Amino acid sequence: MSHSEHAAPKNGLANLITYNKDIPAYPYIIVGLILLGIGGIGALLALFKGHAAVYNVSREMPWGLLIGTYAYFVITSTGLAFIGGLAHAFGYEKYGKVSKRIVVMAVAILLAGFTQIGLELGNPLRMVWMFITPNFKAPIFWMGIFYSIELVILFVELYLVFMPNKSNHKLSAIVGFFALLVGTIATSNLGYVFGSLNARPFFHGIYFSTFLVISGITAGAAMLIIVHNIVFKGRIPSELNDTISSLAKLMGMGIGIMIFLYFWKIMSSLYTEPQGSYEAVMAMLAGPLKLNFWIGEMLLAVFIPLIIIVTNSKNPAMLKIAGISFMIGLFFTRYDFIVAGQMPVLREPLPGSGVIADSAGLAIYSPSIVEWMVYALGWGVFLTLYFAAEKFLDLNTSEHH
Amino acid sequence: MGNNKRYAIVLDSSKCIDCKACTLACKMENDVEIGAESYRIWVSLKVKGSYPNVSMEMEPSQCQHCENTPCQSVCPTQATYKTPEGVVLVDYDKCILCKACMTACPYDARFPSHHHHAIEKCTFCYHRLAEGREPACVETCPPKVRVFGDLNDPNSEVSKLLATKKVSQMKPDRNTRPRLFYIIG
Ligand code: SF4
Ligand code: SF4
Repeated sequence: MSHSEHAAPKNGLANLITYNKDIPAYPYIIVGLILLGIGGIGALLALFKGHAAVYNVSREMPWGLLIGTYAYFVITSTGLAFIGGLAHAFGYEKYGKVSKRIVVMAVAILLAGFTQIGLELGNPLRMVWMFITPNFKAPIFWMGIFYSIELVILFVELYLVFMPNKSNHKLSAIVGFFALLVGTIATSNLGYVFGSLNARPFFHGIYFSTFLVISGITAGAAMLIIVHNIVFKGRIPSELNDTISSLAKLMGMGIGIMIFLYFWKIMSSLYTEPQGSYEAVMAMLAGPLKLNFWIGEMLLAVFIPLIIIVTNSKNPAMLKIAGISFMIGLFFTRYDFIVAGQMPVLREPLPGSGVIADSAGLAIYSPSIVEWMVYALGWGVFLTLYFAAEKFLDLNTSEHH
Repeated sequence: MGNNKRYAIVLDSSKCIDCKACTLACKMENDVEIGAESYRIWVSLKVKGSYPNVSMEMEPSQCQHCENTPCQSVCPTQATYKTPEGVVLVDYDKCILCKACMTACPYDARFPSHHHHAIEKCTFCYHRLAEGREPACVETCPPKVRVFGDLNDPNSEVSKLLATKKVSQMKPDRNTRPRLFYIIG
């Protein structure tokens, strides 16, 4: 591979810029820019026409696709930060070898997530009130705090991985540890953002706080496997072989834990038909979300990647397919959990009640074109930022610890 | 305003004639915009049994002004707050429209308002209370389904009704301790 050599930069940012002619980043940057364009139009429509005019969320289903995609991106970012923390703070050398990619990707994907929540909130500018009259008991207040701190920590990590300096090892370990810790708190608190909704029993309990953290780490591993395959055009350098197979193991373990959590969540929501949880789980198993659940969540995010990891653990090309399959499936995982939890309507849809529901008494929702366009914006931000970094920065970690 | 009042409404649904005067009065009084999902109060119509043994039941309702307040608990900016009398209100200027409160409310009592660019809901017509007037829905109802008053005043009509009638609250399993009481006998 003829990636540019990493020269220890002494004179600021300019020295960091390089040009990696072997990395096939342009197709991804171009797709990213196209998605940015589409997403930009979607964002303008949302801002000028108003959310109500262009989004399909409703009184019965206040949170839709964009909360799902926000979760999709930010949880993947904290999963990456977790893997980075294992490297920096706990000496997992195999992950340390790809620490630059981890940090850059975690930043890019977190920023992608922020676009989703920014366009989901009707009045993001009024968030200043979170600091003037904060409600310390509100999980969303802490969500804002933790994800903001996470972004700052990731920027510090970014600085440290690009300005390596022998005396910084300890600092890297501390910062890496806090990225792992704050990321995990942020994501488990996101589970609590849902868990604190009195009206929605499907979200109650420890399940989502745990599931989101585990599936986020799994997603981080999947994304790393995918980009290494892209960057090295399927020919992973021998020094990274153990990194990739260790990431595959991490993914497999994550999916294994997800199966365990899924099983008990579904059982406890089905047996004796607990009100609110039962209807939500049935919407996934046999209702309006059944294709999402069986094909997206189960086939793409669980079975296909797990079978590949078990049978082809040393084959990077196959692992890449496992990673892609997981990341596509994970979209449905995130979408379904948001939507299913809100599907049981809170009042009977009787004449005069104002409640709109389908014949099974479930709230109706499918995302609008503009909501899809905003999702495209998230991918646009990620692809453009990340692959520009691949093209113009040296993301190979020459030596670690 | 450290007064000692605890406002509540006691409803006798059996008197309801489904005239919808309350929903209309609410819209007029509070300038609630037109739209299928923009309403502060509602009257559900339940048809029970099958022909020829059929009966109809009306259920007027609105925000329950919960004492344990799911919407307020999740509001990050304190846009949703409680007055000293226990009336749950929204400060429109602080609302970021995160819709957590809508998702948290077990009674589906909230909706986004385009006028205010914020979440809106029943206020017990708080602006009228200082003038000694009752909420518009209470005042307008021809058969007087709703009775509004102070639970801390033992001589108020609501206190007397609660002392003498059997009442229920909506979704007691949610532990919200609503300030709306329904006479059931
Ligand atoms: S009924 Fe809903 S909006 Fe009203 S106080 Fe209770 S939770 Fe809040
Ligand atoms: S939508 Fe407004 S009132 Fe409701 S929780 Fe968010 S900030 Fe508070």
